[in-house]
Amino acid sequence: MKLEGKAKMLRIHFGEDDQWHGQPLYQAIVERCRQLDIAGATVYRGIQGYGASTRIRRSHLLSFSSDAPVLVQIIDSEENINRLIPALDEMVSEGLIAMSDVEVIRYVHQGGEHPQQ
Amino acid sequence: MLRTGPAKKVTVYVIEGQTYHGTAGYAAILDYLFFRGISDATVTRGIAGFGTDHKLHTSRLVELSDQMPIKIEFIETPERVQEVLPKLSEIASKGLIEVHDTNVIRPIPPGEKQAPAPPPVKLEAKAKMMRILIGEHDSWHGRPLYEALVQALRANDVAGVTVYRGILGYGANRRIHKESPLHLSHDAPILLTVVDQEEKLRAIVPVLDDMVQQGIVVLSDVDVIKYSHGQPLPEMQEKEK
Repeated sequence: MKLEGKAKMLRIHFGEDDQWHGQPLYQAIVERCRQLDIAGATVYRGIQGYGASTRIRRSHLLSFSSDAPVLVQIIDSEENINRLIPALDEMVSEGLIAMSDVEVIRYVHQGGEHPQQ
Repeated sequence: MLRTGPAKKVTVYVIEGQTYHGTAGYAAILDYLFFRGISDATVTRGIAGFGTDHKLHTSRLVELSDQMPIKIEFIETPERVQEVLPKLSEIASKGLIEVHDTNVIRPIPPGEKQAPAPPPVKLEAKAKMMRILIGEHDSWHGRPLYEALVQALRANDVAGVTVYRGILGYGANRRIHKESPLHLSHDAPILLTVVDQEEKLRAIVPVLDDMVQQGIVVLSDVDVIKYSHGQPLPEMQEKEK
């Protein structure tokens, strides 16, 4: 897989407790990205925030059921990102999806035995 | 700041139980006014009243106690009032809003915290954001790569860098990085974000070429809006001119 020059970055914001078919939505998105051969996806957990529903989301040290804000960041070619968007439309029912332009400076991996597109 | 002379007095009537995006309507209004820098506002809770529905709400009926009338009042300059009215009507939804002409005889003296601090310096400029995605276990000369990168960026006078740890992800090798309570030594995804002028960031690319053996480095456009109490950075000043 080659990725260089102009690319797109997709950022998906939602809550950690959001579910998709019984599993955490962020996990489901990462799995879907792998199925679709997207170059990479990373999930970050925020410590506080508010979003589409304007509820303050906060991760509590003492409570296990914290609906912390979650960000999934994906970088790939515009073509691949466009393939992913219909899947996300279906999965993300409440949240924000934003796309921006990026320029890939360096993309290196060792040995990669991943299937070629 | 409110001065002596003509001003507007705004009164918003809501029902105590009315909510706006999950919080009490009056609290949402108060928060909004507070963060818009309105000089002062007061919330008064009525003990009885009736509205357009012509139902009498009194505090004697415990079960109806969330129907109590709430009054939010503030006094501001006409311009500020015009500024906040659209959002107020949105939050108050069905509540009544009235605006009176009033005269300020004696303004409230400014609070203590407003007096000393000089206004912060605000700088707006075009810049670039660099994101470096690596793994937590990646190392460079025996130490964590992200630490080494922070040091390298600092040594190269890059304005600032923040390191984030992700909870799940996969990258170039399709190796899943996952956080799990049972694995203390998980290889979490690491993101470094750096914001600076494009030349600065381009100049450190050769350094990154040496250090980042596996990962991705991307660059994107950002608008810098910087607030600082200190001296502006020299390169930012040049950009301003």
